[in-house]
Amino acid sequence: MKFIRKCPLFVILLSTGLLFTIIAAGGKQTIYAQQEYSPFKEPLLSVMFTALNDDIYPWQILSIESIPVSDFTTEPDIQEAAGDLELSAPEDESPQPEDVPPAQVPSLDESALADSDGGQQEDQQDSGNEISEADGADIPKGRLEPLRESTREEYLNHISADIYGDAGVIRAAMYEFSQVDESYFDDALFIGDSRTVGLRDYTNLSEHADFYCETSLTIYKVMEENFKGLGTIPDALAAKDYGKIYIMVGINELGRGTTENYMEKYTEVIDTLRELEPEAKIIIQAVMRVSGKKDSEDAIFNNSNINARNNAVATLADNEHIFYIDVNEVICDEDGNLNADYTFDQIHLLGSCDELWKEFLLAHGV
Amino acid sequence: MVSFSSLYFLFRFLPVFLVLYFITPSKHREITLLVGSIIFYAVGEPIFILVLVLATLLNHFLAIQSWKVGEGFSLHEWQTRRRKHYMIRAVVLDAALLCTFKLLSSFVDSALLPLGISFYVFKMISFQVDLYRREVWSRPRLRYTTLYFMMFPQVVSGPIMRYHEAEFDLTRSYSAEQFEDGLKYFVLGLGMKVLLADRLAILWNDLQMIGFQSISTPLAWLGAAGYSLQLYFDFWGYSLMASGLMVMLGYNFIENFHHPYASKSISDFYRRWHMTLGSWFRDYVYIPLGGSRCSGIRLVFNLAVVWILTGIWHGNGVNFIIWGAVLGIFIILEKLLYGKLLEKIPFLGHLYVLLIIPLTWVVFAITDLPRLGIYFGRLFPFLGGPGIAVNQNDIVRYAQNYGLYFAAGIVLCIPAVFGFYEKHKKNPFIILLLVVVFWVSVYFLSTSAGNPFMYLKF
Repeated sequence: MKFIRKCPLFVILLSTGLLFTIIAAGGKQTIYAQQEYSPFKEPLLSVMFTALNDDIYPWQILSIESIPVSDFTTEPDIQEAAGDLELSAPEDESPQPEDVPPAQVPSLDESALADSDGGQQEDQQDSGNEISEADGADIPKGRLEPLRESTREEYLNHISADIYGDAGVIRAAMYEFSQVDESYFDDALFIGDSRTVGLRDYTNLSEHADFYCETSLTIYKVMEENFKGLGTIPDALAAKDYGKIYIMVGINELGRGTTENYMEKYTEVIDTLRELEPEAKIIIQAVMRVSGKKDSEDAIFNNSNINARNNAVATLADNEHIFYIDVNEVICDEDGNLNADYTFDQIHLLGSCDELWKEFLLAHGV
Repeated sequence: MVSFSSLYFLFRFLPVFLVLYFITPSKHREITLLVGSIIFYAVGEPIFILVLVLATLLNHFLAIQSWKVGEGFSLHEWQTRRRKHYMIRAVVLDAALLCTFKLLSSFVDSALLPLGISFYVFKMISFQVDLYRREVWSRPRLRYTTLYFMMFPQVVSGPIMRYHEAEFDLTRSYSAEQFEDGLKYFVLGLGMKVLLADRLAILWNDLQMIGFQSISTPLAWLGAAGYSLQLYFDFWGYSLMASGLMVMLGYNFIENFHHPYASKSISDFYRRWHMTLGSWFRDYVYIPLGGSRCSGIRLVFNLAVVWILTGIWHGNGVNFIIWGAVLGIFIILEKLLYGKLLEKIPFLGHLYVLLIIPLTWVVFAITDLPRLGIYFGRLFPFLGGPGIAVNQNDIVRYAQNYGLYFAAGIVLCIPAVFGFYEKHKKNPFIILLLVVVFWVSVYFLSTSAGNPFMYLKF
């Protein structure tokens, strides 16, 4: 007792710490199953805090019986069941394929390929090849199917697998875009993350178009997000008839899930937008790449991951209702990295460079 | 690891160390602290720990040589001469060590700067000079000198405690109250660092992301103010954590900041900001040069030397020299011209400090001179023109997003607030507040763990 009176802060911190650890341990298999945790770096109780960001609260431990541990692609919905995951770095910063026992890689790849629908797969590969030969004679109109599945190694190392190839990108590029003037954007809606915030704040497009954008927006939150002072996107679509809907999200999701998970959600969002605003043209914008420096240093936020996911969403473009444009054409250097002169933080365009993006949009009217 | 505000330190290193420290019999606790400090440093700097260890041993043996010569009740002149010779030799070696690594890191590779070398070499120099000045009262023992140079609360970023302040010779007393006191300082510092400095850092980062040419003039001023607060709470928070740890371990509290933003002149500001560095320059550079008891020209020279050195000490870059020189100029002007006036009219003094200091921090912050020029162009648009793609309303959004942090920061700059805390720190509400500060800090650390971009979400 005397001790408690002498150092109450110490005692309270110790006991709350103990309590939080018990809660975290209790929920480790259930509500906290999705939280990344490395015992050497962090205390167990930190999962309780990371989970708060995903709207998982300690008291839910009493109500939720159990959530099965995600078995990667077999149950892609699991992540949503557990709430939204923030982007989270892998324990090991650099993906190290050499760490994988060599015997396992090919066998897993093969099994992944064998698992997918054999007959259809050949068709898809053919269709992909035909397009890349660029005759354009026999372009499939519908949605393209993936050529393969992501492997478990790719998932664990946060590598976004390029499972679609460039068929979608090539098909989308066949559309003849036209030069337009600013009034074209009078009935446009822009949806995006902090990069779109830059477009809104540092060009005059916001005088024409409506911007529903927020830092750290992800495809998983697009439809639910309550944009400060504006409401949600379904609200916006109900209130006004938009002729064009531009969307660029995807960089914040890079550390999360597989290309399949991302693509599934992206497809759902695009289809919902189509349903809510059937007359509008939907313009999917490729995720802007990062600079060469960032690309070489970052295991997650790098251009090969960005390109893989761009290739995936590009397949949604049908050049009739849904289009795909890639601003990287005008902001990247010859190596395909975001031009280092256009950025300070290696990720965002400088305010003074958002004009390049605007000009690109003006040159790509649909 | 080497950051006190990391989960690894808070929940792995510190608890284990504290348990070991307090189960060690009290007369051997220095050994536990020394071993803990070596592990702490080696985890962060597995190679450069050799530099620290070698420099430590070298300084110890030079000190012993000097001590042997100086034993006895009264010193003969030849003894004093020999001791002075030893002192100069040690100081030159230490300074050369620091200069070598500074130059290597400036011109070869910035990774070649051993962690904390600017701080521990300054400790070494002060130790050698104090020894010569007979401010070290008993024969330096290896376990004390090594501990003094290497102790983990101070090795990375100070405070630059003096050898005698550690009171190695006295029997250390430990008490639960003292431990609690230290813990309170630590939690307070953690909160300042994580809840204020790290949040305000995002503002400064945003300004760089946008590009200085595109920020409005009000936002440029907000940025300068934000950076001033960020730097303050980052370093004050760090110092409180370091000194709090020292108190927990049974040592004295070393004050490093004393409400600098409440000062009335730049000279006053730097008597209250990073006080252990300021007093180091005073005792080991300024006063040996003649201090202020000399002719006007000599005084100007002395101050110029101190402030150019201060600039160089802070970093590799021309901007740091400019920063030091500008401060030196203001301090010289205060000494010679208007210092008395500022003292007499407090309002004028406060206004002057709050205007000049943030501007000097901008010079401190921006290492690239053309970009520094652009920033000043935005602060003073009549100098720099209209900027490029400036959004005139940007201030509204940033003021909304960061208003709370500014308010909290400004409140904590008021000396009376800290005074109130000191007076009522045993009040249950204050203790509960500290508990909340601790866990909210842990929340922020958890959600950004392993992800340095977390607070730079895109």
